[in-house]
Amino acid sequence: MNQQPFLRIFTAPATLCAIGFLAAMVAVLQYSLRAYVPGSLDPGGFTLANFADLLKPLYARVFLDTVVVCAMTAVVTLIVGYPLAYALVRVEQPVLRSILLVIVVTPLFLGEVVRTYAWIIVLGNNGFINSLLMSLGIIGKPLQLMFTPFGVVVALVHVTLPVMVIMLAAGLSHIDRDYSRAAESLGAGPIRVFLTVTLPLSLPGVVAGTTTAFAWTFSAFATPQLIGGGRVNMISNLVYQLGFSSFNFPFAATLCVAGLALTALVLGLLQLASRPLQKIEVH
Amino acid sequence: MKPSANVEGEQTAVHFDAVTKRFDDVVALNAVTLGVGRSEFVTLLGPSGCGKTTLLKLAAGFLGPDGGSISIEGKRMNDIPTYQRGIGMMFQNYALFPHMSVAENVAYGLKTRRVPRVERDKRVADALALVKLKGMENRKPRQLSGGQQQRVALARALVINPTVLLLDEPFSALDKSLRTSMQVELREIQRKLGLTTIFVTHDQGEALSMSDRVAVMSEGRIRQLGRPVDVYRSPADPFVASFVGDNNRLRGQLVSMQAKQAIVALGDALVKVSGESLSGLEKSAAVDLFVRPEQFSVVAPEEPCAIKGSVVAQIYQGGHVDLQIECAGERLLVRSPGEQAVLRWPMGAPVGIGIQADRCSAFPAA
Amino acid sequence: MIPRSTYQRVLRLVGLLTVLVIIAFLVLPAAVVTIAAFNDKPILSFPPQTWSWRWFGRALAYEDFRQGFFNGLIVTAWSSTIALCVGGMFAFVIDRYKFPLKSAIEGILISPLVIPHFTVGLGFLILAAQVGLSRGFAVVVICHVILVLPFVLRSVYVSLRNLDQSYEYAAASLGAGPLRVLTTVTLPLLLPGLVSGWLFAAILSFNEFTASLFVTSQRTQTLPVAMYNYVREFADPSMAALSVMYIVGTAALIAFANAFLGLGKVLNIEQSH
Repeated sequence: MNQQPFLRIFTAPATLCAIGFLAAMVAVLQYSLRAYVPGSLDPGGFTLANFADLLKPLYARVFLDTVVVCAMTAVVTLIVGYPLAYALVRVEQPVLRSILLVIVVTPLFLGEVVRTYAWIIVLGNNGFINSLLMSLGIIGKPLQLMFTPFGVVVALVHVTLPVMVIMLAAGLSHIDRDYSRAAESLGAGPIRVFLTVTLPLSLPGVVAGTTTAFAWTFSAFATPQLIGGGRVNMISNLVYQLGFSSFNFPFAATLCVAGLALTALVLGLLQLASRPLQKIEVH
Repeated sequence: MKPSANVEGEQTAVHFDAVTKRFDDVVALNAVTLGVGRSEFVTLLGPSGCGKTTLLKLAAGFLGPDGGSISIEGKRMNDIPTYQRGIGMMFQNYALFPHMSVAENVAYGLKTRRVPRVERDKRVADALALVKLKGMENRKPRQLSGGQQQRVALARALVINPTVLLLDEPFSALDKSLRTSMQVELREIQRKLGLTTIFVTHDQGEALSMSDRVAVMSEGRIRQLGRPVDVYRSPADPFVASFVGDNNRLRGQLVSMQAKQAIVALGDALVKVSGESLSGLEKSAAVDLFVRPEQFSVVAPEEPCAIKGSVVAQIYQGGHVDLQIECAGERLLVRSPGEQAVLRWPMGAPVGIGIQADRCSAFPAA
Repeated sequence: MIPRSTYQRVLRLVGLLTVLVIIAFLVLPAAVVTIAAFNDKPILSFPPQTWSWRWFGRALAYEDFRQGFFNGLIVTAWSSTIALCVGGMFAFVIDRYKFPLKSAIEGILISPLVIPHFTVGLGFLILAAQVGLSRGFAVVVICHVILVLPFVLRSVYVSLRNLDQSYEYAAASLGAGPLRVLTTVTLPLLLPGLVSGWLFAAILSFNEFTASLFVTSQRTQTLPVAMYNYVREFADPSMAALSVMYIVGTAALIAFANAFLGLGKVLNIEQSH
C-alpha cells in the first residue's frame, strides 16, 4: 500500500529551491575566501586576507555600531510595542479592534523605502518636527535629527514595531483570560495581576519579538543609508558600498559571512539567556 | 481467558488475526485476534489508550499493522488502501465536509464509485429518507443541529452499501436524551440492513445496551469477548469486573473449592462463587470478591448480615438511591431500589449489609 | 458593565493615553507625508503655503515609477505563485510524512527569515554571475521566491495543522483515492490558508527592497528600487505623492484582507476565550 502519496513530487520543487539557496550561500562563502583584483569583476585566488582585514578599526567600528543600533532598536521597540500589543488583544469592540489592527499591520507591508522617506520628511532640517518646534518658538534653529544615531533608531523602531506588536500579541492572546481572573478573584489589583501573571506568561512572546526585531534591524539597509547618510554606517551599507562602488565583491562577501556569524552569536546568546524563561509553558 | 476467534455458527465478516501495532516504542495492540460475524454488532470497549481506536483505524486502513493480518469477507486487507476496502465509517466529530451541502456529502461516496447521475440521486434521496432528513438536501452541515449532522454522517456511510460499518464514538458529542434515541435508531437501521458493525466506545452503558457482543480491551489486548450479559455477570478478570459497571472489591478468604463452585468467607458470611477463576488456589488463600451495588441489600444493623457499617453519603438518583457505606475504613457502594432509602437510611445511620450470594465473581487476591 | 474602582478607571485612562501616543507615533510619518504630498512648492516646508494635486500627476507620469510598478507586478505574480506551489506542496509533506533530510531542507528554506536580505541578494548576484545567468527577471524571481517561501510555508503549514484529518479519512472511507481526496477535500478546505499565504507573499515580494537592489538591473528594477533611486537624487514631493498612493493602496488591501480572511486569525493573534 502506498502510505505516502505525493511524497516525491511534492518534495522535489522544495528540494530544488533549497539547493539553489544553499548554492547562493556557498557562493558568498566561497567569494569571502577569494582575493580582490582591483578593476576586475572576477575574484583572484583563495586567501584568508579578507578575514584579517575585518580586524581593522574602521570595520570593527561598523560592527560595533551595528550591534549597538540593533540592540537599542530592539529594546525600544519592545517597550513601545508592549502596551500596543496588550491593547490589541484586550480591545473587545470589533470595529475598534479592526481599526487598531489595520493601523498596526499596514506599516508592516509598506516597505522600508516608503517609511524611511516619510521619516526624512519628519526629521529633516525643514521637516515637520523642526518646523513645528520653531513655529512654536521652542527652538531658534533646527535640531540636527537627520544623520544621527537617534534619527536612525527612531526610524528603525517604527520599521520593526509592527512585527514586534504582532509577535507580542500572538503570545498574549494565547494566555487564558481565566489566569488573570483567578488572580483578581484572589485579591490582586490590576498592576499586581499584570506583573505576577500576564507579564511572566507573555515572556516567550517577548523573547520571540525581541529576537526578530534584532534580526530585522540587522537586515535593514535603506533606513541607515538614507537617514544615517554615511554618518551612521551599518554592515549592510558597507556591503553595498563595497559591492557597487568599488566592485570589491570578495570583501563584501566576507562582511556578509562575518555578519551572519555575529547574528548567529547574538541570537544564540539571547536564546541561551532566555532559556530559563522558556520553561514557562502556557496551556 | 483467551479471546475466541470463533463466531457462533455464523460466517466471519471481519477477522483480525494476531494483529500487532506499535507506535515508536509503545505497543498499542499486542497480537489481537478477533472475529466479527456477518450482520453482527460488535463493540470495542475500553479506557482511552487501550487500543480500541487503533484497532478500528487498522480495519479502516488509516494505519497499517506491524504484525498479523486483517481480512474483510475473507480477503486479506493488509495491503489494500482505505479507498478500496468498501467500508463505511462514522467519525467522532462526524467529519461532514463543510464545503459541501448535505446532498453532496451523501453523494460523495457514490461519485467515487462512478454511480450514474440518475441512480445516484435516487440513492441519496433514499438514504436521506432512511435517516429522516428529507428536505435538508441543500443545507450546509453547519446549519444542522448535532443530531441532524449525525444522521447525515450515517446516511453518507450507509449509501455506499458498505461491507462493514465502522463507528468511532459517534455519540460522544450528543447530549444524553438525544444520544439514547440515536442509539436505538442506529441499532434499528443496522438490524434492518443486516450490516456488520464495529463500534468503538469508552461508555460501558452504550456498549452493554447496543451490542451483540462486547470486546473489553485494555493495554492493547482483548480482556474479554462475549455477550453484554456475560461480560457484566461473569467478568473474565478483575479489570473487566471493575471497568464494566460499578463494582465493589472486597477481600475474602477461600473456604472450600469443589469442581465448579467455591465458597469464600467474608467476615462471618459465606459467599458462593464460580470456582473457575479460582482454580489452583490453596484453601484459606486470599481472594478478591467483586460485588455489584445491586447485589447488596441494606438491613437494620441488628438483623443477620455479612458486613456492618454506617451511611456516609446518599446519592439520590430518582429511580434508585446509591448509598456510600463505610465499613472498617472502606467505602462500599450500595444500590437501593426505590426512593425510600433516603429516609430509611439517613446519614450516619448504622446499617447492616447483606450479599446476594450467588452472583458475585472472585479472583485470586492481587 | 463590569464594576470598576476609581483606581482601575485611572489606570485604564493612563493605559489608553499611552496607547494613543504610540498610535500617534505609528501614524505620524504617514500623516506628514500626506501633508507634504499636497504642497505646491517643490521644496519641503511646513505648513505648506499653497496646495495642489500636481505631484500626484508627476508621480504617475514618471517613467521609472511606471516601469518599476509593472516590473514589480511581473516579479510579484511569478514569485508569489511559485512560492505558493512549492511551499504548499512542501508544507503538505512536512505535515504528513517523515523522510530523509526533512529537517535539513526545512531548515534551509526557513533560514531566509534570519539571514539579512543584503546577504541573500549578494549571494544570488554572485551565483547568477557564476552560472552565467544574465541579470534578468529570472534571478529576481528566484531570489524573491526564496525570500517569501518561509512565510508561505508557515501559513500553509498552520492551516494544515488546523485541518482535521478525519475529513480526509472520511473521503478515503467513501472510496476516494489520494488524488481525489487532495482535490475535493484537502485543497478546498485549505483555500483560506492558501489565499492568505499567497497574499502575504505577494505583498512582501512587491515591497522587497534590499535584496532587489542587489539583483535587479536598470531594466528589471522594481518599484521600491526605483523609489530609492529617486529619493537619493530628487527632493520634490513626487515621492511623497507616490507614498500616499502606496499607503492608501496597502491599507485598503489590508482592510480587505481583514474583512474577508480575518487578519487576527491569519496572524494568530485571536484571543482565546
